[in-house]
Amino acid sequence: MRRYIIKRLLISIGTIFVVILLLFILLQLMPGSPFNDEKLNVDQRAALYEKYGLDQPLIIQFFKYVGNMLRGDFGVSYTISKNTPITQLLQTRLPISLSIGGEAVLLGAVIGLILGIVAAIWHGTVWDTIATIVSVIGVSVPSYVFALALAYVFGYQLNWFPLLYDMKIPLQSSVLPSIALCMFTIASIARFTRSEMLEVLGSDYILLAESKGVYGPKLIVRHVLRNALIPIVTVLAPLIVGLMTGSLVVEKIFSIPGIGSLLVTAIQSNDYNVVIVLSFIYSAMYIGIMLVVDILYGVIDPRIRLSKEGPHD
Amino acid sequence: MTDIQNNADISFLPGDFELKGAENTKLDMNFASQRFWKEAAMRFRKNKGAVFSLITILLVILLAIFGPMISPYTYQQQNIKQTNWAPRVQGLENLGIFDGSESLKTSTGTKLKNAYVVDKETGAKNDTYYWFGSDALGRDIWTRTWTGTRVSLYIAVVAVLIDMLIGMSYGLISGYFGGRVDSVLQRFAEIINSIPTLVIVTLLMLIMKPGLMTITIALMLTGWIGMSRIARAQMLKLKEQEFVLASHTLGASNFRVIFSEILPNIIGQLITNTMFSIPNAIFTEAFLSFVGLGIPEPMCSLGSLISYAFKSFTTHPFQIVPPVIVLALLMLCFNMLADGLRDALDPKMKEM
Amino acid sequence: MQKDNLILSIRNLDISFQTNAGAVHAIRGVDLDLHRGETVAIVGESGSGKSVSMKAVMGILDKNSVVNHGEILFTYQENGTSKTVDILKMDRKTIRHTINGRHIAMVFQDPMTSLDPTMSVGKQIIEGMMLHEHIGRREALERAVSLLDMVGIPEPEKRIKNYPHQLSGGMRQRVVIAIALACDPDVLICDEPTTALDVTIQAKILELIKKIQADMGISVIYITHDLGVVAKVADYVNVMYAGNIVEKGMIDEIFYDPRHPYTWGLLSAMPDLDTNDERLYAIPGSPPNLMHERPGDAFAPRNIYALNIDDRLMPPMFRVTDTHYAATWLLHENAPKVEMPPELKERILRMKKEAER
Repeated sequence: MRRYIIKRLLISIGTIFVVILLLFILLQLMPGSPFNDEKLNVDQRAALYEKYGLDQPLIIQFFKYVGNMLRGDFGVSYTISKNTPITQLLQTRLPISLSIGGEAVLLGAVIGLILGIVAAIWHGTVWDTIATIVSVIGVSVPSYVFALALAYVFGYQLNWFPLLYDMKIPLQSSVLPSIALCMFTIASIARFTRSEMLEVLGSDYILLAESKGVYGPKLIVRHVLRNALIPIVTVLAPLIVGLMTGSLVVEKIFSIPGIGSLLVTAIQSNDYNVVIVLSFIYSAMYIGIMLVVDILYGVIDPRIRLSKEGPHD
Repeated sequence: MTDIQNNADISFLPGDFELKGAENTKLDMNFASQRFWKEAAMRFRKNKGAVFSLITILLVILLAIFGPMISPYTYQQQNIKQTNWAPRVQGLENLGIFDGSESLKTSTGTKLKNAYVVDKETGAKNDTYYWFGSDALGRDIWTRTWTGTRVSLYIAVVAVLIDMLIGMSYGLISGYFGGRVDSVLQRFAEIINSIPTLVIVTLLMLIMKPGLMTITIALMLTGWIGMSRIARAQMLKLKEQEFVLASHTLGASNFRVIFSEILPNIIGQLITNTMFSIPNAIFTEAFLSFVGLGIPEPMCSLGSLISYAFKSFTTHPFQIVPPVIVLALLMLCFNMLADGLRDALDPKMKEM
Repeated sequence: MQKDNLILSIRNLDISFQTNAGAVHAIRGVDLDLHRGETVAIVGESGSGKSVSMKAVMGILDKNSVVNHGEILFTYQENGTSKTVDILKMDRKTIRHTINGRHIAMVFQDPMTSLDPTMSVGKQIIEGMMLHEHIGRREALERAVSLLDMVGIPEPEKRIKNYPHQLSGGMRQRVVIAIALACDPDVLICDEPTTALDVTIQAKILELIKKIQADMGISVIYITHDLGVVAKVADYVNVMYAGNIVEKGMIDEIFYDPRHPYTWGLLSAMPDLDTNDERLYAIPGSPPNLMHERPGDAFAPRNIYALNIDDRLMPPMFRVTDTHYAATWLLHENAPKVEMPPELKERILRMKKEAER
């Protein structure tokens, strides 16, 4: 198991490295980036030279860049908020986005699993049909349609929840956005859980377990669910990506000061530094999640952890 | 079955106990074999959801083509004196709906307002009609919605088709040659896959200005990986089978084998995957436009329409409804269609 | 075979399946007996209904199955007294608690898919034990080790911790057998236990089951399409076709004096190096589509010895000896005297001579 984790870890780190490299190259090519701007005055230029080693060979520059990043120094914003260290911008925004995203994932996964299990066990009955309809709708209708609908009904008409995010009441303000975000997750997980469980339920080893006398919840949890979880966990990674993109929209609709809206503003105002840093953060999150998912695989499926290859081969 | 020795209760016919003769044996009359596509079509037709979705999609496409044509307005035509007018449809207005009135929530209470009214005393209305209403710049929403649908569909289809071509070829080649070629190609794909679509798209936005071309390229760059995985998996499964070997023995070149022997076997999955990718592409475009990174004004797509209408969401909510409904319908129907296709082309026999 | 030794008695079993395309009448009136210590074989082609009838005994029929009528009477000892139940009348939960694993156990066909890939071998063996008996985990594991030893797996203490994918096909099948024996059942149902294995391993598994049977006094039902297997293990044979038993008898009777044309076909189809036939014999046609029921004998379309009455009425069981019955109109007193094909006759003579040696 340890060998498996180490291997996955190394691959992840390698990939992040490649990503930083790509971003770095992009930075080099951009006009108006800290490396290329003609409009700098002498002092700024000197400061940059020192920090990024702009007068030294590219390789050194790269390593300095990476070093800065690792130390948490992401550089400064150029257009959004002149010369503000990006870390400062992130300080308030990152936790907000993470908390809403986290809520959505948790809600989505739990409700989705339950829906899927119900649909599979009571397959063919009314519950199954309901669950399927909910899933199809949840998957097809984009998160911002939900957000709009929720905002209109519960925020505007009924006024149960605030329409705009208010930092002073974070919990209440995050209800509607989390729900909007998690619809997709619920639907995807429910759908997948149902189909995987149905497939497992038809397999030989379940028949054997029944012939041993295993019945009811024990059968479902220990044998069916455990085997069905493997492909369900696979779906987690793309779901997280969906959450990322969904968050951009949801943040705009509810005016949430998170990193999603920051990214949009940065692109629109050509603030390269911010865009690059945020890209890095998103990539790192994604790669990190994939690593966690891979490790989870190893925990659930002994075939993976005892063999030399990973689940993607 | 009980053993009986006495046949007193069974009446026998003369000739009962004569041999029928070996020529009378009927063989293999039991399972009529049907052609694969015929069976698939039958299964598809049984799936009501899928059929309904197909019809709806065709309807939307028809409307997208003809909608703007039957309207007296163009999509960019502005009339500043007629901004934010509520929907008004001839005929339906006599029933009391779509008659151009909207209720506004003000600080003093809700007010009923009708912008079409010219004479406040008599309530007589003028001669203009906006079927979906007009937006903040006085443009007809009906025309813009269907023009936007055209754009969204166009982007989605183009992107997906190219994705399918690239992804399919990539996967087929990678799977067919195996070995080092496969490893390298797969590592490369894996790295690209590790970067979230969002990042790739935003970086593209940085380099290129937002526009039709940009979005199409952005979609192309990221969607092919899923297709390549499927193609590769199928290739790996099929290349060991005998008909490939047979083809080689007959002297077929690699290229020929890939595209004329193996491809027909993968078509089913490819079609399904393509159908699934379309709503994905539509969504991505819509989402990009919504956050302001998509189609620039005055051109419109469903996403940009929604984005624009969002600004008046609390004052004139009717503006956002048409594009949202069309978008949701498209995505829902494509998903159900894809589901139906998948079930039709690759059924899992759950009973027996 | 004394009547008081009868532990399993299936009477007039009739089962259909509901499918999208219609109802499939899979089992059409099956009678079958199993006595203590006996080995009974059920022989037939795919789709004849062999597995379905045994799944009914185990209470693991698919959810879309309908039992139209019949009874499955099972007799077992509980707390020193003899108890007889009709399995068809019991609900699934009770069957799981009282019968499955404890009194009747099953060995499945494909060892590659019949073990849970996420559970260690040891845990799968003791799962049944922990459910049915009051023993501690350590004791259960010790028993598991000795079971693995009994089924012939080397280094059983190490194997306990292995996962199924780490074992070969033959070893996995032994594990499946060990699981079946874990709670000391009275009856072992083996559904084509060797079909998915290499020929060399086949023989070993059959020997193993025979040995276990002798040691533990278990009664065994073998489901198979392979007459070679039947010849090696069975005391009593039931030949099934299209959901009916068409011939049944002691093993010598079936092999040396078969009466039903289908049995003739099966025996003739066994490849044999000594046969001088220029062609391999195969029963013409394919098994019937059980969705379309035709009146009369289901085998008639493929039967070159069919009589006109076979198209009208289904033949009842005719008695050949007290233990040998066949359901064919050819055994009726009015029927023409039809003999088995000469090649088959020769082959049987040869088999007899071999056996006497």
